[in-house]
Amino acid sequence: MQLAELRDVVFGYGQAPVLEQMNLQVGASEFIGLTGPNGSAKTTTLKLLLGLLSPQQGQVEFSSTGPQGKPLVVGYVPQNIASFNAGFPSTVSELVRSGLYTRKRWFGLLPSKEVDRVEKVLKQVGMWEHRKRKIGELSGGQKQRVCLARALVLEPDLLVLDEPTTGMDVEARTTFYDLLQHQVQHHGRTVLMVTHDLEETLPRLTRLLVLDKRIRFDGSPQQFQERMDLRARTATLPLYCCYDDEERDAALVAREGVL
Amino acid sequence: MWEMLQYEFLQNAFLAGIMIAGIAPVIGVYLVLRRQSLMADTLSHVSLAGVAVGSLIGTYPMVTAMIAALIGAVFVDTLRRSFRAYSELSIAILMSGGLASAVVLMSFNKGASRGFTSYLFGSIIAVSTTDLLVMAGVVALCALFFWFFWRPMYVLTFDEETAQVSGVPARALSLAFSLLAGLVVAVSMPIVGVLLVSSLMVLPAAISLRVSRGFTMTVWVAVVTGLACVLGGLTASYQLDIPPGGTIVLLLLAVLVVVLVVKRVFSLGASRMESNAKVVNGKTVEER
Repeated sequence: MQLAELRDVVFGYGQAPVLEQMNLQVGASEFIGLTGPNGSAKTTTLKLLLGLLSPQQGQVEFSSTGPQGKPLVVGYVPQNIASFNAGFPSTVSELVRSGLYTRKRWFGLLPSKEVDRVEKVLKQVGMWEHRKRKIGELSGGQKQRVCLARALVLEPDLLVLDEPTTGMDVEARTTFYDLLQHQVQHHGRTVLMVTHDLEETLPRLTRLLVLDKRIRFDGSPQQFQERMDLRARTATLPLYCCYDDEERDAALVAREGVL
Repeated sequence: MWEMLQYEFLQNAFLAGIMIAGIAPVIGVYLVLRRQSLMADTLSHVSLAGVAVGSLIGTYPMVTAMIAALIGAVFVDTLRRSFRAYSELSIAILMSGGLASAVVLMSFNKGASRGFTSYLFGSIIAVSTTDLLVMAGVVALCALFFWFFWRPMYVLTFDEETAQVSGVPARALSLAFSLLAGLVVAVSMPIVGVLLVSSLMVLPAAISLRVSRGFTMTVWVAVVTGLACVLGGLTASYQLDIPPGGTIVLLLLAVLVVVLVVKRVFSLGASRMESNAKVVNGKTVEER
């Protein structure tokens, strides 16, 4: 089942496009890593997918329902959200609870079942004992975990994260990735995450996307590893040639005369 | 002290003060958290141009001030999106534009300069019954807005992008908030004056942010602080025959200084006690 799709999307901030003919399908229960060099439009891709930006050409489509047949729920943790509004005068539990404030829940009392979820997700991310602290008093890693809890409290079918582990130490990162993997394996959620941390994420991912203006590689971590083994041969070629079959082959033929 | 309330003009001033102090700090908390602390200042300068237009064409100045503030609010919100990386630029552009228009328009109506002084610095005798009715309407509108949109405003204020993803109409809500801020600025002018109206919004928020835990508490503490300082300032203004706007703002500044000093003393005391406890524990371990 496809939850979201970018079809022949072209987008640019000025005249030159930063995304060319982008095609991407996001299915159910996938743990997708999105990587690429700086300026390769990773964040732009996420924003197009979420409807925060409108494509100049092409289409962005969302499934109306999630895998369970209920309306599709999307959770989003933007880049550096925790550091952006660190002084926000909220307690941890107040902020996580605000994840429930979707359009249907603007008025009236929140159902107790949903309020109970605040406790559940705070325990999942290991922040329950910090629930009464102000978010400004937390470390960067703790803030990111709170922001993840805020996204999880709605039980999203698709969770979109933009470099969520920036500023975390190795231990915190490992815990964070384990938590995301748990969401995919045990709750059937789809996680789409921008990351540069391939060493730690690759064993957990079910799919990796390498982006540089368009998708240069789209496959399993095992397939990616095979491409990486070719790196010695392709070391002097542009980075994307490591991932893109056609361009790699063409570059190798041009350089070495043979494949 | 209570005998001063027998005067109708003071009853009006206190009623107006209570209404403004009830809503201006709420707007102020959102302005500070949205990094738009200077927006109230900008809108007040634009409102002054509206007052100048009103007295020039001979209409009720608060209405023209409100219209000017509403137009200013739309411009601030639009320019803020156009200059996303330098959002404070929109504030600077409109503030200078508003003040320049006001100064030029006032020069066409030299006879009204005395009236302008009360709009610049506030006056407790300037509040008419019509002003009170307009204020009551604006306060009721604000109360309704925050009653209905408390949750989406919280989400929007924390982060605009996540708000949009969760279905909050960020642009419309942001514009509605800016319009309300414009209206509150315009109706606050008779009491605190154009030059000080932003202080009544921002200072209670600044005080509250230092002492509160949680968002709801921040809003309530800001309102209580605003009310206390407005009522105290108006009383002092009458008793000492000094301008109400300046008195209220000085009172708010005094509270802010006290809060900052007390917090500093408490945090120093706490860290000293913590380090003493470590030393005591260290010695105990060595002795053992």
